[in-house]
Amino acid sequence: MLNELNQILRVYKRNKLAVVAFFIAVLLMVLAVIGPYIAPYDPVEINLSARFEPGFWGGNTENLLGTDNLGRDIFSRILHGTGISLKVGYAVIAITAVAGLFIGLVSGYFGGVVDIVIMRFIDILLAFPPLLLALVIAATLGTGIEKAMLAIAIIYIPSLARIVRGSVLTVKEMPYVEASRAMGAGNIWIIIGHVLPNVLTPVIVYLTLLLGDAILYTAALGFLGVGIDPTTPEWGAMLSSGKDFMILGKWWITLFPGIMIFLAVLSFNLFGDGLREAVDSKLRMN
Amino acid sequence: MALYKYFLKRLVLTIPTLLGVSIIVFLLVHMIPGDPIDIMLGDRVTEAVRLALEERLGLNEPLHIQYWQWFSSALHGDFGISIRSNQPVMEEILTRLPATIELTVVALMIAVFFGIYFGVSAARYRNTLIDQSLIGFSLLGVSIPIFWLGMMLIYLFAVMLGWLPVSGRLSMGTAIPTYTGLYLLDSLIAGQIGSFIDSVRHLLMPAVSLATVSLALVVRVTRSSMLDVLSEDYIRTARAKGMQERKVVYTHALKNAMIPVVTVIGLQLAKLMGGAILTETVFSWPGIGRLLVTAINVRDYPVVQGVVFFVAFAFIAINIIVDLIYAYLDPRIRYE
Repeated sequence: MLNELNQILRVYKRNKLAVVAFFIAVLLMVLAVIGPYIAPYDPVEINLSARFEPGFWGGNTENLLGTDNLGRDIFSRILHGTGISLKVGYAVIAITAVAGLFIGLVSGYFGGVVDIVIMRFIDILLAFPPLLLALVIAATLGTGIEKAMLAIAIIYIPSLARIVRGSVLTVKEMPYVEASRAMGAGNIWIIIGHVLPNVLTPVIVYLTLLLGDAILYTAALGFLGVGIDPTTPEWGAMLSSGKDFMILGKWWITLFPGIMIFLAVLSFNLFGDGLREAVDSKLRMN
Repeated sequence: MALYKYFLKRLVLTIPTLLGVSIIVFLLVHMIPGDPIDIMLGDRVTEAVRLALEERLGLNEPLHIQYWQWFSSALHGDFGISIRSNQPVMEEILTRLPATIELTVVALMIAVFFGIYFGVSAARYRNTLIDQSLIGFSLLGVSIPIFWLGMMLIYLFAVMLGWLPVSGRLSMGTAIPTYTGLYLLDSLIAGQIGSFIDSVRHLLMPAVSLATVSLALVVRVTRSSMLDVLSEDYIRTARAKGMQERKVVYTHALKNAMIPVVTVIGLQLAKLMGGAILTETVFSWPGIGRLLVTAINVRDYPVVQGVVFFVAFAFIAINIIVDLIYAYLDPRIRYE
């Protein structure tokens, strides 16, 4: 196991871009944790006497990145926003992993009517363009970060369930599963002990590639003002509040949260790509 | 299997999906918190008026009867009346549809033409500065939030430089006779070159922002597929017999490199349809994406239901067409 990890790490380290991306990703994770403590101002505090203040480029040392249309400190909002975006991203991964694995395992292992019903339902969900599905579900569930997480996870659950089901179909025909059943093992034991560990690799690869995407969808929902409260310091919601002031030349309200979204999505995507490449090359070697 | 038989099979398989989609759309929109009657009437009316309206809209019927009424009318293209505008929902959709089609089709064209051209160039000049900057672009392009890109373009080209208009489809005072609703076509049919240029200027930024992600993906796939093909023996043969390099690349290689590219382009349609919702919001583009977001925000249920069902329906139809194109290009698919 340790040897395998070393192999993956060695291949990963050869990809310079992926290494840089990894460090940016780690930096963002650190910021997500310590951000609220180092933020100089309350991210939702409205200060109408300090609206549209330019930041350091205008010699402002109090609000480094300026203030928005309600006088809120953009730097503090961005710091708080890091935690929100990453929290949503990880929660989406967790929800997708649990639900996708469960549905895929049940559908693939038991087959029959259960399988047919589940797969039909998945076809139906996949018939929607993803953003449209998330949008309608977020609208139905109402406003709240937890609800947004669920709405975004529903984009990915069907695809993951399908991937898992596919692997389960191969694994369950393996001799070791048959041997285990011959020795009197029950279904639950076989699923958890034999099937699950052998379908995990594609699942992990899928999940690492999903994080950047999930952060992007979170920002999209925030920007459209559906499912995410427009006053929260979520990056997409910040873009939305800056949208109408762009033509007045107040570019900083929009520029900085956008850079954060871009940076987060880019670094998690490159990290995922690098990891997939490394895992693939390890699989080829075996 | 003949192509039409394959088409029929795909069509029949679509029926249960479509039914499921309609049930989900109907139920979801029903569960949106808030009472539609309150929104239509406000809370200053007598109970009798409320009940009368509830009965008129069929909201007092059991859910499955409501669904059946909605679905059977929907199949006839009747999605009810918008709560806000009192117009038929279908009419609202149809007046905005051309704007969305124009935006998406132009974005797709940008993504395909420039994507293939850039991808081929990157492969031809492998490991040069051209290649590296195109790789860099495609790397950034797939991760950029297009709604942010759109706003940055507005700041640069509309606010700072003043070259392009900020939003909308046409300048104030410009009128184009309606034939198709696609302003690019209509202005040409009417022979109004000035209006044509005006609509191009309005379309440019929204279409480019919408195209970016797909463009980057097409560049990436075209490049790697071209690199595979360019190392084939028949390419060496073509070069050896003294064929012009341009001809080798664009006729011999590109044709054989296209299959993965076509696959990626097919997958972009869902992305573009979702992206249109965002782009239309940024540029105040009067299409169905903006209609949907506004309807969600004001809780105009019939419009939300109508638009979502319409778009899902269109999405399914487009997927069938894409599958047919594959089946035509690659006969093996028909026999699976």
